[in-house]
Order: sequence, then structure tokens, then C-alpha cells
Amino acid sequence: MSKPTDLVQGTLDLLILRVVAPEPLHGWAIAQRIRQMSNEQLRVGQSALYPALHKLEQQGWIEARWAPSENNRRAKYYRLTAAGRRALKTETAQWERLSAAISLIVKPA
Amino acid sequence: MRWTRKLRLRVRSLLRSAQVERELDEELQYHLEHLIEDHVARGMSPADARHTALREMGAIDQRKEECRDARGLTLIDSLRQDATYALRSLRRTPAFSIVATASLAIGIGANTTIFTVVNAVLLRSLPYPGSDRVVVLHEHALDSAEPLSVHPVNFAAWRARARSFESLVLVQFPPLNVIGSSGPEQIGRLLTTSELFRVFGVSPVLGRGFTDEETRPGPHDVVILGHGFWQRWFGGDPGVLGRQLAVQDGSLTIIGVAPRGFRIGSAEPDAFTPLTIDPADPASSGSRAFQCYGRLASGVSLDAARSEMTVIASALRGEYRLDDGMGVFVSGLHEYLVREARPGLRLLMAVVSTVLVIACVNLAALLMARGISRRGEFAVRAALGASRARLVRQLVIESIVLSTCGGAAGLLVAYWAIHALVALTAGALMPATSEPIRLDAACLFFTFATSAVTALAFGLVPALQASHVDPQTALRERTWGATGDRRHHRIRSVLVVTEVALAVVLLVGAGLLLRTLSNLVRVNLGFQPAGTVTMGLFLGVRPPEARIAVIDQILDRVEGLPDVKAAGTIQFLPLRGMTCGTGFWLEEHAAGQDPAHARPTECALVSRGYFAAMGIPILDGRPFDRRDRITSPRVVMVNQSFAKRYFPDGRAIGRRVLVQGSNQALAEIVGVVGDVHHDGLTSEPAPTVFLLHAQTPGYITNLVVRTNGEPLAHAAAIRRAIHEVDPMQAVSSVRTIAQDVANVLARPRLYALLVTCFAAIAVTLAAIGVYGLIAYIVTQRTHEIGIRVALGATREKVFFEMLGQGARLVAAGLLVGLTVAVGLREAASNLVFGVTTGDPLTYLLAALAFLGVALAAVMIPAHRASQVEPTTALRCE
Repeated sequence: MSKPTDLVQGTLDLLILRVVAPEPLHGWAIAQRIRQMSNEQLRVGQSALYPALHKLEQQGWIEARWAPSENNRRAKYYRLTAAGRRALKTETAQWERLSAAISLIVKPA
Repeated sequence: MRWTRKLRLRVRSLLRSAQVERELDEELQYHLEHLIEDHVARGMSPADARHTALREMGAIDQRKEECRDARGLTLIDSLRQDATYALRSLRRTPAFSIVATASLAIGIGANTTIFTVVNAVLLRSLPYPGSDRVVVLHEHALDSAEPLSVHPVNFAAWRARARSFESLVLVQFPPLNVIGSSGPEQIGRLLTTSELFRVFGVSPVLGRGFTDEETRPGPHDVVILGHGFWQRWFGGDPGVLGRQLAVQDGSLTIIGVAPRGFRIGSAEPDAFTPLTIDPADPASSGSRAFQCYGRLASGVSLDAARSEMTVIASALRGEYRLDDGMGVFVSGLHEYLVREARPGLRLLMAVVSTVLVIACVNLAALLMARGISRRGEFAVRAALGASRARLVRQLVIESIVLSTCGGAAGLLVAYWAIHALVALTAGALMPATSEPIRLDAACLFFTFATSAVTALAFGLVPALQASHVDPQTALRERTWGATGDRRHHRIRSVLVVTEVALAVVLLVGAGLLLRTLSNLVRVNLGFQPAGTVTMGLFLGVRPPEARIAVIDQILDRVEGLPDVKAAGTIQFLPLRGMTCGTGFWLEEHAAGQDPAHARPTECALVSRGYFAAMGIPILDGRPFDRRDRITSPRVVMVNQSFAKRYFPDGRAIGRRVLVQGSNQALAEIVGVVGDVHHDGLTSEPAPTVFLLHAQTPGYITNLVVRTNGEPLAHAAAIRRAIHEVDPMQAVSSVRTIAQDVANVLARPRLYALLVTCFAAIAVTLAAIGVYGLIAYIVTQRTHEIGIRVALGATREKVFFEMLGQGARLVAAGLLVGLTVAVGLREAASNLVFGVTTGDPLTYLLAALAFLGVALAAVMIPAHRASQVEPTTALRCE
């Protein structure tokens, strides 16, 4: 299982924002979705996930609402806010710049 | 997201913390269950799956803590912890907490109370638009600042010459007798020239003000109603204009209604009628018995108006003998109204601030002692990693909790004290015009600010000192028993000396005010107040003969009542704040009535029997009696000051004078009476000439009746006697002269009472401070004392040594306090009477009184020290 330090600082926020962008998800689903979308490469532990979710909520990038889940239990769903959408855009652009830059250095010529 | 939502989330996290916690629990639980299902789906047994999932989740509590951190709760949470901890530690030491809260409550309560009065009297502006432009003009004798009423001659001259004022108005407050459905009633009236509403920046709610034409001689039977009177008598009828108001001698046409609550003096006038001034002969309107108000012209400063009026007054001195030695002064109306209350309130504010400072100093000393005894606790916390800032924060929060409790209790004290003060003092603290005294937002803010400042004042220094611990030394010292920290003692000694000094200053002040009061009480008024009752009789506009006859008959009837010893009338009673100045000519100058030769004098209009009723002695000649009639030769009486000043040869009797406004006839002086403190206890009696109502009848008069026994008990019989003469005669304000004397004494009595109370509180606090320090030293040195006693020191020696330590502190405080008191003595100079502010006896008594209390306080711990048993003392470590 990957630890939070395995992810580049701030990347987790980006992943969360990206994953909840299409539809509201609860914490477990967010972790699952990240795993699936990364072809099982990235696994987010709850030790990193929940503090990150609460931080993003306080920042106002996502908002939470209690709703019944797929198995009919109460779960806390996180949804992107307008501010979150803007943040996702800038974060994505930043990430692309960064990863391109890293690729330039790391890829063998 | 908008910041409001963010704030809402924060607030929710903070206030609904239980719910947030529950949700966090639920959210993590949900995750855990998914994890378990996941493991089961991969073939684990349910028990194993749960076990593995729990391990993967790690310590759930740690997760929660991380989430809480993410919500930014730590700082606020730990502040809350500090506050809770502070409350708990204060509860653990109830004696300390109660003493601290009580002394703060007294300090803050006293300050809030006095501030509330100051706010109502000195700070709030008057209820007129542009009230800072409204000024009052008064005359004064050049050698005195005492404001005197205005002469219509001067008013006419000012109005013609002064350029500093947009408008000037002259007013007087004679009552008016109106006839209602239930017979005659005397109502409050303002007699005014046409500029009244312009000066005060208001306009009538109905109709109009008086025109200039209506204030010139001629029949002008018009009246403007006061708003309250309009509501009371006419039910607020908007069609009241043009209707008639029945008065004793006819009726007046209503032409307007004044704005709601409009007043200059203490009461809203019921009616306004025009004051007519004949431009050709202003003196015919009356003598120096009017009030003048003005509105500064735009761009003119008060100082500019003052200089212009000074120039005008000096010109007038050359033109009219009645202005001989007289000047004019312009003051802001607010300034003028509060002139008597201001020095006293300033003094009280200084006094209560001092009490608060003493309370703070006392508390700082207590907190320092507490800090020392908690040194162990701090050492442990510091050893466990608490930073110094954290410890200071903890202590400051304790102070804030204390001062908040003290502030809240102080507010209760103030709420109660304000009610008591207002009830006790009625008008003694404030001029009649001010708004009612109440706790308003400004006062609450003041209390809050005071509490906050107090917390810092008494909390920070002890906190810094106590937090300055080196865990090693402190922990070691604790096992050894502290032998006393020199620096700590020095600071506490300075604090105690400060308290003592401040308390001594207050004690000296209280002493001076008490002696002032006792001097005032013993002032020889010049008349005998006991046993007299007075009532107002406004004679209305009747012909002169009728005004003479009605008083004659009333006096006859009243004198005939059982238990009545004497009865008489006077226009303005002593001590009621009304005087009437005029001018007169000696016989040799009387012929031309040349204003240049007129001399100034106070003037009083009395009837026969007045001097007997008031108990004023006849020093020479005879009193007025029945022989003196309108048909007999003119007579006047004078007081001793008049006789001394104008007839230094001592032969006033038989001389003839002509008094302005007395039907302009020469009158013979038939008697000389004793001087009376007419204008207050501290003012010097002025030369006064007494005219006789039977020869120059007035309109306003007060009946004075001297009786046997309780004077007010006879009021009903006197009133009946008056109504037998004229059933339509209105009678007003039945009072005793003793009440007037009490009113005059109310203010000095109040100052003396309050300052003495505050001084007593200060002395108590300072004594507690001295006691606390010496008791602390004794506790610290118990061990040492035990050893010394074991080695042969006598109990007396121990006792006197401890006493000596206390005495040194007290002596130092006394010395500083007396020096400061001498330095500050000018501050009280206009509040004392009959005693100098440097009076050695007062200082000596204050010092002795304090010494007695302080030594008693020191003797308790000193005695305890002398009783230390060596065996106990040595064992207790």
C-alpha cells in the first residue's frame, strides 16, 4: 500500500479533485476510483485520504453531503464546488507542466 | 467558495463539535466496513477480515486527530482547554477567587457607575440640532466668575451691537395661571422673545413661533403650547390652532405647538408667551432677572464671540451705571450647564480609577504569591515540554477569566449602584437638563474595555514572572522549601507601597471633603430654616391695587391660623438660585436719574412679616409693617452688607435712595437686617435692598409661614385660608426651607459620602495587601523562625521583627501617599470650603487612621510568627 509520502506533495489533492469532478463520491469510492483509474498502480490509504478530504472541504474546494449509498447506508458524499473546479483546472495545468519537465529529465535521451 | 461559507464551516466545527465528531466517526466506520467486505470478498474469514482491516486503518483516533487538525481546530481548542483549566484551578482556590472577583467587581462596578453618570452628564450632547453652536450669555461682577442673570437693557444693547450671533433670545420662567375644566391651575411657562426656536435650531410641530412684532409692546394675546401640555389638555388635537386658552384675566389665542420634549431648564414648559421689550425703554421689561441664549453665527468661534462681548461690555460700563463693575461671559450651553457638576465628577472619576488601580495592584500581588506557590506545577509542565509562551498564555487566560467574572459582577454592582445613586441623590450629581442616567452601549463598552485592560494590568507581570522557571531549580527548591525570592519580594513590596500610598491619598481627600461638609453644615445661613413652610403664589395680571390687596388679605388670614407665628412673602426665596440685580441712586444723585450715577445692588421684593417668618434679625430701625401702604411715604430696608458698603458712616437709617424699577420714587431706609446666604452657602452675601410689595407690587411671590411643630402639617390649612381670599388663586410647590437647605447640601454631602466610601474600600484593599505580604513572608520563613526560636530567640523579638517589616512598608507608603496628596491638592481646591487643601490636621488624621488599620493588619501574621513552635516548624519539611 502506498503511503502519502509516496505521492508527490499536493498530488493527492489533484487526484481527489479529478475523481470527484464527474459525480459526487464517498471516501471509500474515491479510494477505489483512484485505484481503478490508475490501473491498480496508485493506492490511497485512509490515513492520507480523510485528512485530505477534510482539508479540501475547509478550503471550500469540495463540499460534503450525507446521502444513502449504493448499499443503502448513510455515507458522506463529496462534490466539487465552483472554486474546486477552478482549482482543478490550475492544478492540472501545473501538474502537466511539472510532469513534462520531469519526463524531460528522467527519460533516457 | 465564499468566505461566509468557510466561516460557517469553521463555526460549525467549533460550536457543533459533538456532531462533527459523530460524523467523523461514522465516516471512518463506513470506510472500515467497506474494507472488511473487500477482504471477505477475497476469501478471508469475517474475523480475519475485520482484524486485517482494523490494522490497515491504523489507530482510528490518530486519523481523527489528523482530520481535526485539517479543520484547524487546534488553537481554538487549546484556548478552550486553557479557559476550562483556568476555571478549574480557580475553583480549587475559592478563597482567592472570591477575594479577587469581589475586589474587581467593586473596582469595575464603581468605575462603571461613575462613568455612567459622567457619560450622561458630561459626554452626551444636548438634544438640539447643532447644539455645539448654542451658547449662553450671562453677566457677572468683574471680581467674580459667579454667573448672574441678564438685564433687559443689556440684552437690547447686545442684540443691537453684537455681530457674533446669528440670533439671541431672552427668556424668563414665570408661571402662568390657566383656567381648566377643574378650576385654576398653575402651569410652567417660558416667557420669550421671538428668536427662541431659531436659537435652539428647532421649529414648531404646528403653527409658528412669535414674530418680532409680537415681542414689542402692545396687546399680544398669543400663546404657543408645550408638546406635553398639548397632549395633556388638548389630546394632541391637530386643529388646536386658533383656539383659546383661558387664563386668569382673559384668554390667549393658540398659534403654535412646540416640538416634542423641547425644554431649556429641567421641565418642559407647558406654554410659551411673548416677552415684550420696548426698544425705547428696555428697562421697563424688568431688571437683572432674565436668561440669555444665542446661536453663534457661522464661522464665528466661541473665543471670537467672547472677545466681541468683552469689548461691548466695557463700552456698556461707560454708558450705564447699572453695568458698573459688571462684565459679560459667553459659554457653550453644555459647558455652562455642567459647570457645577464637572469638577466633582472629575474628582469622582479619578477616585474610582484609583480604587480600581489599588484593586489591580492588590490582585497582582496576590497572583504573584499564587505564582510562587504554583512554581512546582509550572516546573513540571515546563519539564514536560510546555513552552514559556504556553505558560504565559495559560496565566494570562486565568487573568482574563478572573477579570471577566469581575467585570460581570461589576456590571451587576453598577446596575444596582446606579439605581441607588439616582434615587439617593436626585439632582445633586447632574444638571437638570441632562438625559436620564442609564447603562447604555457606551457604558457596557467601557466596562468591557476596563475589564480587558485590568486583566492585562494585573495579569501580565505576575505571569511573566511566574513562567520564568527553570525546571531544575524549581523542582529542587520545592523539595527544600523556598527560602524566599528577593526579587519577588522587592516587586511585591513596591506593589504594596503603591497601594498604601494611593489609599492614603484617597483618605486625605475624604478627610478634606468631610471637613468641608461639616463647615457647610455649620454655616450661619442668616435665617432660621426650621419650622417654616413656603408655597408659590403667582398673582397673575391684576391691577396693582388688587395685587396688594390679595397679599394683605392672605397674610391676615394666615396669621390668624392657630400655630402660625409669622407670615410674609418674597419674590425669590433664598437658596433657590434666583436673584434679581438692579441699580439705585443716593438721594443727592437721584434728581436726574443719570445712569452714570446708579450703583449696583441686589433687590428683593418682600411683604410685611417676611423677616419674622424667615427668622432674619432686624439689626437697626424697624421692619416693614401695616403702616407702610401705597399711600404712605415710600420705605425700603437694606441688609448689613448694603449698609456697610454704601453708608460706611454707619448711619443708614433715615437716608433716602431711589431704586430702579420701584415706581421711581425716593424711599427712606427704615431698617437694616442681617445678611443672608441668598445664593448658596459658599457665596458671600451681596448688598441687597428690600422693596415693599405693598408699595411696588410684584407678580411672582412666595408665601413664607413660620409655624409651631411640623410645618408641612399646616400646608392644607394655609391653602384653605388662601382660597377663602380668592378661590381662583393657584398655589404651587409647597416646600419647607429645610428642604432647600438639604438640597444645597446634597452635592457636598454626596461627594463626602462617596469619596469616604471609596477611601474606606481603598484602605481595606491596601490593608489586605499589607497583610497578605507579611503573612506570606511569615509562611516562607516559618522554618527559619523555628530554628531561631529553638536557638533561643524570644517570641517578642520575633513579633517585633515581623511587625517592623510591615511597619516599614506602611511608613514608606504613608510618606509617598502624603507627598502625592500634597502635590495633588490643587485638584480639590474648588471642592473644599472652610479648610485649605493643605490642612495639616486632615493629613495627620488620615495618616493616623491608616496607620491604625495597617498595623492591625500586620499584627495578625506577626503574632502568628511569634507563636511558631520550633518542633512543628522543623518537622513540617
